[in-house]
This record gives sequence, structure tokens and C-alpha cells, in this order.
Amino acid sequence: MPDWIEPVARYVLFEGLPGTLRVSAIAVVGSALIGVVFGTLMTIRLLPLRALIRLYIEVFRGLPILVTVFIVYFGLPSAAPSLEFGPLTAASIALVLWGSAQVAEATRGAVQSIPNEQHEASSALGFGWVGRHRFVILPQALRRLLPPFVSLLVNIIQNSTLAQVIGGLEILEAGERQNERLSAIPPIGLGEIHAFEIFAGVAVLFFLISFPLTRLAAYLEQRLA
Amino acid sequence: MILATYDLWAFVSENREELLDGLLNTLKVSAFAIAGAFVIGLALGAARAHRIPVVSQLTAIYVEVIRNTPILVQIFFIFYALPQLGIVFDQFTVAWLSVMIWGGAFNSENFRAGFQAVAYRYREAGYALGFAPFSTFVNVTLPIGGRIALPSSINTYISVLKNTSLMYVIGYAELTTTSLNISNLTLQTTESLTMLAIVYLTLVWSLSALIRLLESRLALPESR
Repeated sequence: MPDWIEPVARYVLFEGLPGTLRVSAIAVVGSALIGVVFGTLMTIRLLPLRALIRLYIEVFRGLPILVTVFIVYFGLPSAAPSLEFGPLTAASIALVLWGSAQVAEATRGAVQSIPNEQHEASSALGFGWVGRHRFVILPQALRRLLPPFVSLLVNIIQNSTLAQVIGGLEILEAGERQNERLSAIPPIGLGEIHAFEIFAGVAVLFFLISFPLTRLAAYLEQRLA
Repeated sequence: MILATYDLWAFVSENREELLDGLLNTLKVSAFAIAGAFVIGLALGAARAHRIPVVSQLTAIYVEVIRNTPILVQIFFIFYALPQLGIVFDQFTVAWLSVMIWGGAFNSENFRAGFQAVAYRYREAGYALGFAPFSTFVNVTLPIGGRIALPSSINTYISVLKNTSLMYVIGYAELTTTSLNISNLTLQTTESLTMLAIVYLTLVWSLSALIRLLESRLALPESR
């Protein structure tokens, strides 16, 4: 094995991978929490609220995620200086905005697919709106949301690469930095081009993370169908 | 000067020509990629639905590789890695080629699902009437399965259009790149981002409205 591989692999795995995992973890948790709340609120017959959430969903699903990343990273600080975030945080926020819109839409469908008898029965047992959803409706709806959640996780992991565009250190940026380092003229670099090996390696790494998850999503979908 | 005044109209009118060129490039790349993704999706989706040996397995690999790697990595691979093997494309080619390859993979799944949803008895009826397999596909499976696949394939085309914004990373002068390059010079960041949001939402929302229109107009007679 050539000498250049080990430091490159170490950098991608120990500096890049944690960045990808951090962005993905924040984005998934944030999207799930905000999305489930928004999606459930969509089923209330309160028109202004529904219209507002609908607008939120359509805007953040409609924008290219890269544009949302730029809005969070460049747009927010120029509107209010206190809203300045680092690249990884900005990417996480953008992915939460996009992911929560996806989850909200899916949750709305799942909540509405629970038969009305469930609402009536739990009301008859004395549950209020919150208790009814917390203990009866959402536990059933969330089970139906499991396959889309796993697909969302795959999408978020892949889209976390958008942090690279604003300089966030995740897997792709780690690979790109190593690619530049190696191609620099000695003594800084090796003056060698290994772009093919590095980016193929980055692709393989993402494949190894994503493939089991897409299989899992397909399996869950089949089992719950 | 710290507080710049917000003037969207000035930003658009002062840079009208450049922004229009950017928009045209976005539309041009999208059109190339969507046309390619349609052909790839139709051909490979049909091959998978009919389990044509070799082509079907190769398509499965192609689909899994594209679906399980980030599109940004695919763009980097085509733009930075392939030249090492002597395969060099200009920015425009990388732009449409990369989103076409991506869209084609997703679209072949859309068409596969559509064709597989056509009940086998329809094909049997075609064979019984003396149609050859290919004419059965053209006259029976395609009109029915194609309509079933239409909404999901348009969704893929919408994603293709949105993904052209990623060409920012290779510096191809589509809308996102053009608008941000201008605002880097003029510091009209907020105006630039507002303009991008408005244009992309207009394009995406119009295409979504088209799906709903086509869905009702092309619905299969029995589901009407």
C-alpha cells in the first residue's frame, strides 16, 4: 500500500466522519421533533395555522437545499449579526428546515390515516386533545412513519455533504483537503494527483453507510405494508 | 457603511442580463438532463420490469450506486477524479451529465414501478392477440405503466432542476453561481438570496402544479 494512503484515510475517518455524523444527528433529531409537531398541528381545523405550516412545508421542500444552506449561512447574519453560525451548524439548521418539512408532510398523512374511531374512543375515555395524540394517535402514526424516517436519515447523511460548499469539515471536505494537499508542490505536498482514489474512497464510504440503511427502509416498508 | 439598504429591484435590474443568462443556463442544463433522464429511465425501467438478463442486473447496480452516494460526491468525482484517467469534460458537460446520471437512476426506478404495476393479464391479452413482445410493450405496457409512473417521474425532474444549483461547486454559471458571484462583488447578499428563492420556488411550484394537472387529465379511465 502506498505511503500517502494512511494519513489521508485517517484524516477522512477521524476529522471528516465525525463532522458528517454530527450534522446528520442534529438534522435528524431536529427534523423529527419539529416535523412531527408541525404535521400533527396540520390536522387541526384552524385555517390560519394550517396555511402557515403549509407555506413552511412548500417553501423548504421547494428550495434547492443548497440555497437554504446559503440563506442560513450568508443571509441570516446579514439580517441579524447574532445569527452567525459556523459552517457545520449552518448546514445542520438548513437540513432541519428541509427535513422537518418532509417529516411534517409525512406525519400529516400518517395521522390522518388513523381511523376516526380511535379519536372517538380516546375522547370517550376522557383524553383531551394533547393526551389523545400523545398516547393514542401518534404512537400508531409513528409506526407507519418508520420507513420514511429511515429514508430521511439516508437523505440527510448524503445531503450533509452540502456543508462542504461553505467549508464545513465533513467527509467530502476532508477528502477534498487531502486531495489539494497531495497535489501541492513539494515540500508542502507530494506533487501527485490522487483525486480518483480519494473521491472513489469517499463514495465507497458513503455507500457503506447508506446501503444498509436503504435495505432497512425497504425491509420495514415491506413488513409494515 | 454597515447597514446596506435592501433593494431587490435594483439588484435585479442592474444585473438583468447576467441573471437572465444564468437562468437560461439553469433551464438549458435542466432540459438536457431531464430529456436524458427520461430516456434512461424509460429504457432501463423497462429492462428491469421485464427482467432482461444482464441489462437488468447492471441497472440494479447503477441504481444502488447512485442512490447510496451523495450527488455532490458524484459531481466531484466526474469533475475532479475522472481527469486523472484522461477523461476531461467542460463545466457545461459535467453540469448536465452529472444530474442526468443521477436523475436517470431515480427515473428507472419510477418507470420500473410503473411497468410492474401493469397487471400481467393485460400483457397476456396482447400476446393472445398476436402482438410480439416489443409491440405489446409499446401498445399495452407503456401507455398504462407510463401514466402510473408519470407523477413520480415529474418529481424526479423537479429534483433534477433543483440539483442544477449544485453546479456552484464547479463554477458553472447557472443561476445560483451567477447570482452569488454578483453579490460577492456588490455585497447585496440578501437581495441575491431573495431573488434565488423567488425564482426557484416559482419554477418548482409551477412544475408541481403541472403534476396535479396531468394527474387528473391522464388518470386511467378505470380509476376516474
